[in-house]
Amino acid sequence: MQPALQNGKSQLIYLNNAATTWPKPTGVLREVAQCLRQPLYEPGRTTGNGSTDYPSAARQALADFFHAGPPEHFVFTQNATDSLNLLIHGFAKKTGMPFHAITTDLEHNSVLRPLTTLEQDGTIRLSVVPFTGTRVNLAAIKKAICEDTRLVVMTHGSNVLGSVQDIRPIAEYLHANDIFFIVDGAQTAGHIPVDLSDIPVGAFVFTGHKALFGIPGIGGFFISEPDAVAITRQGGTGTDSRTLTHPFEMPMRFEAGTHNYPGIASLYAGIQFITSTGLDAIGKKNTDLTRSFIRELKDIQGITIYNENPDLPVVSFDVDGIDNHDAGFILARAYNVITRTGLHCAPLVHERIDGGKGCIRASFSYFNTRDECRAAAEAVCEVAESADKEVSSD
Amino acid sequence: MKEYVLDEPLTEGFLKFLKLFGTVRFLLQLRKPYFSFEKELFISIKGFVGDSNVEVRYKKEFQDLVADYFYLLLYYYGEGERGISTLKEYEDSIREKMKIRLDPLPGNGT
Repeated sequence: MQPALQNGKSQLIYLNNAATTWPKPTGVLREVAQCLRQPLYEPGRTTGNGSTDYPSAARQALADFFHAGPPEHFVFTQNATDSLNLLIHGFAKKTGMPFHAITTDLEHNSVLRPLTTLEQDGTIRLSVVPFTGTRVNLAAIKKAICEDTRLVVMTHGSNVLGSVQDIRPIAEYLHANDIFFIVDGAQTAGHIPVDLSDIPVGAFVFTGHKALFGIPGIGGFFISEPDAVAITRQGGTGTDSRTLTHPFEMPMRFEAGTHNYPGIASLYAGIQFITSTGLDAIGKKNTDLTRSFIRELKDIQGITIYNENPDLPVVSFDVDGIDNHDAGFILARAYNVITRTGLHCAPLVHERIDGGKGCIRASFSYFNTRDECRAAAEAVCEVAESADKEVSSD
Repeated sequence: MKEYVLDEPLTEGFLKFLKLFGTVRFLLQLRKPYFSFEKELFISIKGFVGDSNVEVRYKKEFQDLVADYFYLLLYYYGEGERGISTLKEYEDSIREKMKIRLDPLPGNGT
């Protein structure tokens, strides 16, 4: 499947897949359309039948995909940010007294902002562990742990450096020491195998609209210990309606109101696409594209690459002498190459790698081609060459 | 940020006019020759020479003060020397307001 032509002109080269993958597999689009063509069905919420119970089907698909269960411990939210807010604030509320929390400087604002909010209102003391190279290791986490450390929140994969963090030893250590561990898997879910039967996390967060190929507006999390997190949303669940307090049963414990059925259908179909295509095949293609792009750029004068060996299909770079927003604008408007510029909602990483000014990020998906990759690299080189010949008025 | 679609491309004369008010940079070797205009604390403009689409970014701290600045540039361009001096005077009045906001004096009500 190829992206549509833009205004009948040359093809769009979409390299912003770490934000939202595009295009989506045809099976995803078909499932969303199918979902909306029939009355929505979920036991307890309708007397109808004969339609697909997408929430149950998707929960089962998630449980199989991440090797974790029971399926009811997979909770649907709007996206990873929504999941992290629900988990972080819910954990703090349940703890009920001030405590110490740890995060890393690789994090997205979806982690940093909820934690900083809790820090500012005096609910937590926060330590931010620095990365070394492109990773945060167990030793660094251990060093930050205090007597009252109750929570660690960290990314599984950096959205700027594309580095996958070795979370298993960290999870094992934290589990053994009764510290709740929330892993932000927004960048890894759908890219690499994640076997939660083998990693004792407190919660694992994912979003649907990135590498799981769902549509925007659907995400979720797996929680192994629901009792660790307080209920912070209450409402209709379709069950136990006589009771005016929110039910404790999973998954409705964390789900209030009508589900995002089209989003859940897209997530279900996205996982089916990944499973039928093969995570290995997807990973191999993404790796080939990423390495090829880096190879084309790395020896070009005037181009700085911040991550020459990423684990994920993410390349962060700068064109010397041109503001990253300008370079992104030129790539988009003159070459039809869509990238993401700026801080990528991860200000602390940028403080470390580029002094906080931000950079250009190209991120690939299974639907990109070698030709697109080559054309995008040529466009970046052309912009870099022209930067030498900049004419200024002052 | 706003994207404007103008009736016609910005002319070479207008880009020269911009130089009187800030820094204009050109990247002329690209597939489409690029220009940017930067006026510290006011606005930045990006576009391609010969293209009628331009992207205008306002400095968020002073967005209320500079929201009309792009329109004023377009308007006073056609007014010749008188336009230049009028716009500079207008700029000065905006800068005064910026100065007060950046460094409020005791008792000035800000």
